Amino acid sequence: MTTKAPSSEPDVAAAELALGLLEGEERAAALRRVLAEPHFAAEVEDWRMRFAQLFDLWPEVAPPPELIERIDASLHGVAPAPRRRFPWPVLAIASSALAACLLVIVAQGGGIGGANAPVPPPVVVEPPAPLVAAIAGEQAAVAASFDPRSGALRLTAAPRVPAGRAAQLWAIGGDGVPHPLGLLAAQAVVLPLSPGDRVRLTPGVTLAISVEPPGGSPTGKPTGPVIATGALAAV
Amino acid sequence: MPLRRTASDDARAHLAATLIATGSEDRAAFRELYRLTSAKLFGIVLRICGERQAAEDVLHDVYLLIWRRAGAWEPGRASPISWLATIARNRAIDWRRAEGSRRAAPMAEAPEIADPAPDAEAMLVADGERHSLLECLEELEPRTRAAIRTAFFDGMTYNAIAAAQGVPAGTAKSWIRRGLARLKDCLSRDD
Repeated sequence: MTTKAPSSEPDVAAAELALGLLEGEERAAALRRVLAEPHFAAEVEDWRMRFAQLFDLWPEVAPPPELIERIDASLHGVAPAPRRRFPWPVLAIASSALAACLLVIVAQGGGIGGANAPVPPPVVVEPPAPLVAAIAGEQAAVAASFDPRSGALRLTAAPRVPAGRAAQLWAIGGDGVPHPLGLLAAQAVVLPLSPGDRVRLTPGVTLAISVEPPGGSPTGKPTGPVIATGALAAV
Repeated sequence: MPLRRTASDDARAHLAATLIATGSEDRAAFRELYRLTSAKLFGIVLRICGERQAAEDVLHDVYLLIWRRAGAWEPGRASPISWLATIARNRAIDWRRAEGSRRAAPMAEAPEIADPAPDAEAMLVADGERHSLLECLEELEPRTRAAIRTAFFDGMTYNAIAAAQGVPAGTAKSWIRRGLARLKDCLSRDD
């Protein structure tokens, strides 16, 4: 644990991450905790929801009237992508830092949680809320939405992968072990999930996309590069 | 839950329906969404970006993101405006990080953040269980409260806050951490 706060300083990393106070290694450490600790991820989400109350106090400023026309025109555009790429910023705290952490975990074959971290039992409470994730990397994010009631996992079009390769989706929970969920396609898809896979999808679980041979990884673990990640969160 | 349906309930329902229609790639709905929300979202990005031209570019990006991702919003914990405002705030903060946070203080041009107006507080209470954040902020020392507000409204990090206050980063971190811990205690007490 890199955050060795003296005992006089309480652990409020979830609030710090939600507010955006952290930078550099401290931020990376907090993002690793989002990956490794589902309850920490849920706590971050809870702080975000709390702080969102403050949006009510934010004064409005009218943008220039012509801006809507520019925006509207760019929806037509052949290449409407913004000038800079950036990860989907909302619910998933995924970032390139997080993607880097993920690679470490995958490389370590179980890494952070390790053998001493048992899989937390799925806690089923109340009617489950829909979960969303934006699985982001270098390319435009893939949006995932999961309805726990129907068990349907919807995904937008897959990122580009080299010809003859497939984009495979994985769920990575508190144990740090990737579990295959299915293959993405050039169009939006709805993946039918087995009951076993459904219970894996809880807030804070990371979804990741790797490049695999056609038909998916032959080993049951990612064999190619992980090109996008994003954390599931309740909406 | 409010006992009777109010104009603001209708507005919220209209916004939610507009966001859902935008998610189905309805261009007219997108323009309506822009009409309903652009002043709020521009207020957010303008304050965090600190310069008008950048804020306009970021707002442009924000609405493109909204257009692409509106389908991912589902009615649930996050209200539509919180969801949209969070996109705007985070995108503006991303821009600041990419710029290397050259700016240490909020721009003079950005409007001041008001103290909670009574009607805003009443509205938050009507929103249900999450009514206590503002009350709990009030319990903090003014300096800590101001720092937390600055972090939220200006997208400032520990280092930026410390620089603006002219104190070592460790010092700012230490009292903000204690403030967040008090906030956490207060919020859990009131739940």
